[in-house]
Amino acid sequence: MTPNKSLALPAHTVMAAALALAAGGALAQSATETALAVRLDQLSSELAAVKAQMAVLQLRGAQAPATSPAPAPVALPGAAPLPGGFDAAAPSAPAGPATVITSYGEINYNRPVHAPQNGQADVRRLVLGFQHRFDERTKLVTELEVEHAVASASDKGEVAVEQAYIERQLTPLLALRAGLFLMPVGLLNENHEPTAFYGVERNFVETAIIPSTWREGGVQGVASFDNGLTAQGGLSTSFDLNKWDAASTEGRESPLSAIHQELSQARSRDLAVFGALNWRGVPGLLLGGSVFSGQGTQGQASTTARITLWDAHARWTPGRWDLSTVYARGDISNTAALNAPLVGNPTLIPKTFDGFYLQGAYKLWSRGDYALSPFVRWERFNTASAYADLGAGLTPAAARAERVTTLGANFVVSPGVVLKADWQRFREAPDLDRVNLGLGWSF
Amino acid sequence: MRFTVLAGALAGAAAALGPASAFAVDYLSAEQAARLMFPDADGFELRRLTLDAAQLQQLDAQGVRARSVGWTVRLAQRAGVLQGFVVADEVVGKVELISYAVALGLDGAVRQIEILAYRESHGHEIRLPAWRRQFVGKGTAAALRVGEDINNISGATLSCSHVTDGVRRIVAVLALARRAGAL
Repeated sequence: MTPNKSLALPAHTVMAAALALAAGGALAQSATETALAVRLDQLSSELAAVKAQMAVLQLRGAQAPATSPAPAPVALPGAAPLPGGFDAAAPSAPAGPATVITSYGEINYNRPVHAPQNGQADVRRLVLGFQHRFDERTKLVTELEVEHAVASASDKGEVAVEQAYIERQLTPLLALRAGLFLMPVGLLNENHEPTAFYGVERNFVETAIIPSTWREGGVQGVASFDNGLTAQGGLSTSFDLNKWDAASTEGRESPLSAIHQELSQARSRDLAVFGALNWRGVPGLLLGGSVFSGQGTQGQASTTARITLWDAHARWTPGRWDLSTVYARGDISNTAALNAPLVGNPTLIPKTFDGFYLQGAYKLWSRGDYALSPFVRWERFNTASAYADLGAGLTPAAARAERVTTLGANFVVSPGVVLKADWQRFREAPDLDRVNLGLGWSF
Repeated sequence: MRFTVLAGALAGAAAALGPASAFAVDYLSAEQAARLMFPDADGFELRRLTLDAAQLQQLDAQGVRARSVGWTVRLAQRAGVLQGFVVADEVVGKVELISYAVALGLDGAVRQIEILAYRESHGHEIRLPAWRRQFVGKGTAAALRVGEDINNISGATLSCSHVTDGVRRIVAVLALARRAGAL
């Protein structure tokens, strides 16, 4: 079908119109609305008070048969009677609903600067999740993701369980997670909602080198200390090098994304260990690092290969500034033996891959919930920075490191809604230069 | 076996670094927090504030969402002399409720804040004294916003923002109540 040019609007115009509509939507509360809000709040407060009183009565009922008397409530000399008073922080007060629905999503538009005919709009992902608290110490966390809008035999979309784990607070210090969880690596993997990062697309270092959103199945301990240190570590499933497809370019785009298992009938003969330390002892500062190490051939090949990924990261957010950096590096052992039967294919298994980025953002303007934050990010990453020696004429040349500069802005419409726009320049592959527009939300 | 070793290592690290001060869900009750923040007080009078529509609109004009018309304030007293105020409140962090209490001096500025209960999987660092100290001395003249005069905690942006918004709301509500002679 020939597009009707008189009706066709460039996607960026549509996005701009949406932005204007959102900005113009803030209207002052009318007196009637305020009166209704007052009444609603009164009813809400009264309901909360009734709930709190019921909780107190239930607690008293539960304590009644106890052989030793319950401790007397703290006396408040001079305290006046509080009819209907709601003390939000009383230990027996309800702590919110047991089950909470969560969601985040991204709708992106990518327009190659030199090939606008390849422009593409996409529901990059829609994630629905719920958390259910079984008791004050035990909860379930789940997320179900649909990528690219439609998942069918003839479409590129996929449906995936992104998280499904039980968390139990064992002691004041230590929590334990079991199930399918996000790996504690880098800055983005555990905080990957579109409202949490700058730019329409996630950065390359934390997608091509760290395969965000990277999750594994296993057990994980999380210890939070009063000095600002958080330690995470555990045992998990690992990658599966048998999935490497030397005939495709997938492994060149992201070596670990090509062999991740995501707990989908994951081969589990070989498990992995991982650990992460993050220190947030000074407000606005985060210093951290992580390491993962696991076998990757899962007993399917005569050769064993260890996959190691580590990173160091820092983020500093003084006032309106948001500065961050990540370095990540992956190594795969014994790739010479693994690659020998693959020689002649376009994509052999790299021995080393790594990447680094620097990013700076500044909240330039804000009014109410609106906030505009321009940012710039410089990345250098190489998904095949070294290959194991296969002999003269057979060993592939290391890839050239790609360097990407991203310049753009995030515009927060409300605390859970963000509009994004940026321009990306690729040093090694200028054909990929593009502008991007995005709409994201999270709650 | 490896897990046993790992769990042992984690427990060892925990012991080496010292215990956390409180349980990771309920840390303090509102009463305990009030006594902690006003250790010299010999009594706390509970007073109920009810905002009217005009006051709600005043707050709205200041960019503060009142959220509720009803507020309970603890008046810290010593020998019958008013020392300051404590308000316990709850905000949603990312998906779970955060319970916290704010102490204000007679000048209307924040004297101290305490986290009473934190239930999220991430962001426990908002309990750190260094983060909470950022609020001390700030009153209605302060921005009291993350990214302005309150530094964020990476990975706990929503928790930081929502607690900060809550503190700003309490500061504004108490200032309004005092101007109206309700406190």
